[in-house]
Order: sequence, then C-alpha cells, then structure tokens
Amino acid sequence: MDNNLPLTEAIFYILLAVRKPNHGYGIIQEVSEITGGRVVLGPGTLYGAINSLLSKKWIMLYSEDVASRKKKEYLITKEGIEVFLKEVKRLEELVRNAKLMEGLA
Amino acid sequence: MKKFRLYYDKDREQDWLQKMSSEGWALKKFFLGVYTFVPCKPGEYIYQIDLLENWDGDKEDFAAFMEDSGVEVVSQWYRWVFLRKKAEDGPFEMYTDVESKINQYNRIKNFFLAALILEIGCFFIEINAALQTNRPLFWIFAILIGIVAIAFLRIVWRCQWKIEQLQRGK
Repeated sequence: MDNNLPLTEAIFYILLAVRKPNHGYGIIQEVSEITGGRVVLGPGTLYGAINSLLSKKWIMLYSEDVASRKKKEYLITKEGIEVFLKEVKRLEELVRNAKLMEGLA
Repeated sequence: MKKFRLYYDKDREQDWLQKMSSEGWALKKFFLGVYTFVPCKPGEYIYQIDLLENWDGDKEDFAAFMEDSGVEVVSQWYRWVFLRKKAEDGPFEMYTDVESKINQYNRIKNFFLAALILEIGCFFIEINAALQTNRPLFWIFAILIGIVAIAFLRIVWRCQWKIEQLQRGK
C-alpha cells in the first residue's frame, strides 16, 4: 500500500471531504473553503480522481438520490481511512524534520 | 451562425470558442467540424473541451456529474465533449492539477495515435490499389489519406510535447 504515497493534494483533500457522505459539488466547495480558496478542484480533475478512488476502493458510493436528481454521494472506506492516516504520519514526519531548519532564517 | 473549422489543438480550439463568446457568440452544437453559434452576452460563458475515456458507458455518468457540479454539457460528439460555465460564477478549468492535465493529454494522444495507425493502414491499402490498377483516383485517395495521417501525427506530437512540458514543470 505504501507505493500509493505520497497522495496528491487533490486526492488528500477529496478523501478528507468524504469523511462524511458528500457529493461532487459539495467536495469542490468544502475543499475550497478549508483551504481558504487555495485548492479549487476542477470538475474534470475531481471526476477522474473519484473514479480512480472508487476502483481502488478507498471510497464508495454512499447513495444515489433517484427520487429528485442523480446526485451521487460518496463516503470514505476503511481502506481509504488507513491510507489517509499513513499519509498524515508521513506529513507529520516532514514537519517534524523541517524543524532542523529552525534558526537559519 | 455556423462556422466550419478543423483544429489540431484543443487548447487553441478552446481559445477560439472563448474569443467567440467574448464577441457575443455562444457555441450551441458541434458536429464534424461544424460549429453552431447562438447570440449571447459578450463574455457570458467560459468554454472547456474534454475527451472521455470510454466509448459509451461514461457519457451519462459524466454528464450527470458535470451538471451536478454546475457545469453545462453543451455538445457531445463521439467521445468529445464541449462544456461551459457562466463567467459570473467564477473561473472554470476542467483540470486543475498537473497529474490530471497529463492524463487528459494522454487520452487525446492515444485517441489520435489509434486513428493514425488506422490511417497508415488505409494509406498502404490505397498505395497498393494504385500500383495494381494504376488508376489516378487511388493515387488521389492515397495522397488525401497521407495528408490526414500527417495531421494526426502532428496532434500526437503536440500532445507529447505538452505532456513533457507539464512533467518538466512538476
């Protein structure tokens, strides 16, 4: 599983945004909000990423609202959470080691 | 208004659609190089062009996803899609990171590479027919197919160049 790391920024934030059931537009909005507008996912980027995450089984289809419109919701899986937490560990190591640079600036 | 154009490069095609939109002409339909435009407010829309991965399966799913994301699917032709968003709703770019941009150019490259191989096959069949029968018509066909093959080769080469640029900038 480790050769899946590091995650791209898009994948990282998509996984975060589907910790609870979320749909395409909701994911774009949430990622933009929590990054202060720095990461704005293009719909094509998101579509490709969602399909690749589904085939890796890191996320799953949570619901398909047949009644009103075809709005699909996605939710992270156990595997997805595992990968995400591994990535967080890796990022923490980076930040920890970055402290070696302190005092040089 | 209808216009006939052939584009090598979807980025240039996109720029052209953008220019048309800024002049008050919104793309409504595309079919075999014929672009149908209807009047719009100058600069009303931002256009993007994409190539789908699969022949059919994807289409409905893709269109539903885009509509849910606030993007309008204007025209679909074969695996090609023309998308737009109102400019007042903010910037619109289909692919926002290097990985997905490279993926898109790879899809386009492979699409034309397959077409190129097919054209080369046809080219040799025509040459063979021309040599066998010595009828000028076959030579004309061979030359036409050759020109198309060169155009496809150029597209493949351009995509490769763009992929390399993106990889270098990574």
